[in-house]
Amino acid sequence: MLYILLLAGCAIMLFPFFWMITTSFKTELEAMRFPPQWIPTSWHWENYPLAWSTAPFGRYFFNSFFIAIVSTIGEVFTTILAAYAFAKMRFFGKNVLFALLLGTLMIPGEMLLIPNYVTIYRLHWFDRYEALIIPWLVSVFGIFLLRQFFRSLPDELWDSARIDGCRRFRYLWQVVVPLSKPAILTVALFKFLGSWNAFQWVLMMTNSERMRTVPVGLTNFSTEIGTAYGQLMAASVLAITPVLILFFFTQKQFIQGVARTGIK
Amino acid sequence: MKRRKTWIALGLLAVLAIGFAAMAQEPVTIEFWHAMSSRHQENLQVLLDKFAEEYPNITVNAVYQGAYGDLQGKIQAAVVAGNLPTIAQVYENWITSITTLLFPIGDYMSSMEQADIIDGLVPSNTFNGVLTTAPFNKSIMVLYYNKTLIPDPPATWDEFLQIAKDTTADLDGDGVIDRYGAGFRPAANPELFLNLLEQAGGSILNDDWTEVTIDNAAGQAAMEYVEELTPYSYVTGEYMSDHFPQNVAMFVDTSAGYYYNNQAAINGGAEMGVARVPKGPVNQKSMIQGTNLAIFNSGNQTLAQQEAAVLLAKFLIRADNTVFWAIRSGYQPVTKSAYQAQEWLDYVAANPYQVAMSEQMLDGFSQILQPNYGDMRNVIATGFEEVMLEAATASEALTEIADELEMLLE
Repeated sequence: MLYILLLAGCAIMLFPFFWMITTSFKTELEAMRFPPQWIPTSWHWENYPLAWSTAPFGRYFFNSFFIAIVSTIGEVFTTILAAYAFAKMRFFGKNVLFALLLGTLMIPGEMLLIPNYVTIYRLHWFDRYEALIIPWLVSVFGIFLLRQFFRSLPDELWDSARIDGCRRFRYLWQVVVPLSKPAILTVALFKFLGSWNAFQWVLMMTNSERMRTVPVGLTNFSTEIGTAYGQLMAASVLAITPVLILFFFTQKQFIQGVARTGIK
Repeated sequence: MKRRKTWIALGLLAVLAIGFAAMAQEPVTIEFWHAMSSRHQENLQVLLDKFAEEYPNITVNAVYQGAYGDLQGKIQAAVVAGNLPTIAQVYENWITSITTLLFPIGDYMSSMEQADIIDGLVPSNTFNGVLTTAPFNKSIMVLYYNKTLIPDPPATWDEFLQIAKDTTADLDGDGVIDRYGAGFRPAANPELFLNLLEQAGGSILNDDWTEVTIDNAAGQAAMEYVEELTPYSYVTGEYMSDHFPQNVAMFVDTSAGYYYNNQAAINGGAEMGVARVPKGPVNQKSMIQGTNLAIFNSGNQTLAQQEAAVLLAKFLIRADNTVFWAIRSGYQPVTKSAYQAQEWLDYVAANPYQVAMSEQMLDGFSQILQPNYGDMRNVIATGFEEVMLEAATASEALTEIADELEMLLE
């Protein structure tokens, strides 16, 4: 019974992928057919080169990778430092500061878009990588997630390290980080996914094609009156492939990390 | 002595003229923010390339800013940041509150050029008596119908109601209606009600926007008509092409949606017809939708850039170009002369559905420029939807709408 439920859940989760992949080979007429045409009558591979040539996707992929990798490395670094401080160190106003930090999660992103735009513009970061990377080097969600994990580490580890003459910074990188690999990988993966899929921010903070990313490129297939589904799905397959590959290689750590930090 | 002065004056004028001519040839780059993606973007680029050939000293940096909502957000942010582009695609209600930041395009157009713009488009591009923006990608609401089911489209409100009744059917006999005579998207498209309001001779506000008039006799007639249609109407928030022809026999939609609606008809094994909207008690008008071109005057544009942008706007609405754009994009030409252009006449002859669209476009009306129009539209959408979902009667909804509009007016 359990397996039937799991299989059903699996089928529900896989269905959008199935539709995306099959639709990427359909004509526009077939893609819009109702009831849906699940398998294309003929396979239109040309949707892929057509989609690729619709916009400078080579540049978009480079930007997406570059921004996602740099901001993931940067965020993981700042998150480890902040999460450790909030989890294990004592300093004045720690709890208030942490509550304030969490409070920022409650502010809807849309509300901050215009003030952020003005800030970026005044910093002369508009239409530059700085705008796409620097504001995203800190993540409150990541800090919260890692803090929860770090708190579960026994204090005795730090005590014994201190007896051996180890200082905080070395202890953090040589003891805490290796022990927290699954949680850190989870933060990194969340970050990579978030960065890879970022749309609104990139669109707002850039003007030139050379600064834009894959999700912005995907909007090239839709207009206000309809969508070229075949090409959009072909481009979507290309866009999610790197993320899928990344997930396949890190899924064990990802699941462990999510399970251990209690975030579900 | 007098002759000498005249010669000096003429000489100075010649020097000035040469100077201006030289200035006109000086390279200038303008930024054009738009929301045209997919095929529209390609076609726009063709026009921009042609513009570059005609005006080699002007470089147009066309920047795609996402869908309309994204473009609107970016323009709002750019107003605050002070980095508006030279020219952008805008809906009327995006700019009603920033008219002081607009460069009046009409001052740079001849009276003949201005008179050529379709009458229904002039009010929505005129601020304080001056043509301030230029119409660009415009569509008109027309009636789409299942020709296989309805050989002759309805010409009046009464006929529309009757056909809606006749074509509403429980096809498989399970007690549930499978196909409705009419289809509406009240929440997404309150313009469908504004059409009926206009056709009944009504309006949202009086001419000087001091009074709410939507609940007068014409407004009541329009909303009561909606109420009458409700039992025979399929109500959805999705594109009507997702439900045509299987669930819906006829619906009013933008002319720009022809391609997708027709694909839906082909998929459903039906032939689609296009007609003018049914005539109401007063007229047969329908709403013109789509964006205009606004040139900004927010301090970060030079006069040379603004003048170059005027040239671009004039170029885009020139008969040959608005016809090209219309044929390629599915929008409608925006000038009267374009409808007489041979290329357009040939296109209409080859595509008979365009006859109804063209006629309707020349008999269209635009949205009002009241600064709170966006909020007013939402209020109307809510009331319209309540009636369509039978959550309120026509009079209840109209009273509610009028009360809320009063508040917005204050």
